[in-house]
Amino acid sequence: MGLATCWFMSTVEREAGEVARGLRRRDPSLIDDLIQQYQYRLFRYLLMLTGSREEAEDLFQETWIRVLEKGHQYQQRWKFETWLFTIARHLAIDFIRRRQPQSLDALLQPTGANRPLELADTTSSSAFDQAFQGEEAASVATALRHLPPSYREVLTLRFHEDMELEEIARVVDSPLSTVKSRLYRGLAMLREWLKDISA
Amino acid sequence: MRDDIHERALQLVDKRQVEGLSAEEHNGLEAHLESCSQCRKQGSETEQALRALRLALPQFDPTLVRTTQMRARIRACELIENAARMRALWISCTLSWVLGVVSAPLLWWGFEWIGHRWAISRAVWMTGFALSWVAPAVVAAAVIAWRQARGSSVTEPR
Repeated sequence: MGLATCWFMSTVEREAGEVARGLRRRDPSLIDDLIQQYQYRLFRYLLMLTGSREEAEDLFQETWIRVLEKGHQYQQRWKFETWLFTIARHLAIDFIRRRQPQSLDALLQPTGANRPLELADTTSSSAFDQAFQGEEAASVATALRHLPPSYREVLTLRFHEDMELEEIARVVDSPLSTVKSRLYRGLAMLREWLKDISA
Repeated sequence: MRDDIHERALQLVDKRQVEGLSAEEHNGLEAHLESCSQCRKQGSETEQALRALRLALPQFDPTLVRTTQMRARIRACELIENAARMRALWISCTLSWVLGVVSAPLLWWGFEWIGHRWAISRAVWMTGFALSWVAPAVVAAAVIAWRQARGSSVTEPR
């Protein structure tokens, strides 16, 4: 068990090292591979964060350009996806700030009049319904529309990305207790909405 | 008291998904769920909600990847070219600084000799010496500013 863990860790570190070296060289084929590898995960995260397909697509492209520009800052001791999602999140926050100037605290609040991190009109049926297909997916899309973006964000990092709570706290730049409380509340809201929809 | 047990069980149902449970908590919860249909229902609803969330995959436009890859390649080329240009600039700046430092005593001696030869006041030839030092940097800065202004006027939309 210990040997297997060691082997796994060394493989992960070796891969992260290759990514770090490739990013420093600005190797175009490495970037191509990374875009291919993380396409769904990054897009899903951005869609959850912004609630808007168009904004998610714009931010998707900008995130990879930023990865290229800041690639020399990436260190192999970090997990690549954690670094990638952190960049994507900062870009999304910058984007919202440019459109609706307000304080960072207001942006990160999960509730309130401003509906922070909400780029699209999430009360309309367009934002998620266009992005998700299938009957069950449509129910999830409806439920997600009613969740604050900061809850959607932690839910996707935990249950889609299977990230550890500490990693999520690093990505969303919040204390562990905040991450946990958002997860518990988000999960409860999701369950209630899905129950209502199926009823 | 009974409500407390159910409330605790429901907390553990969520904790199992969010943080994971200790062996003791797991056993306690399993024992309770076996005997309580209401909490078992809540447990299965939570699992269903998460299963639905995991299975809900957003539609993805495949052209987005190709467009992004193309933009990234173009940007990578620009960054590599810029880096080469900056390297050349740094090398020439360093060389220019070294040559300036090495030649400073000679230049000083030259200005001093001219000052004595044509009886120019000390303040004037010293100003000449200082200008000869800053002139290349001023000219270089002016050229860069001119080129940047020209570049931005070319790229500005009409």
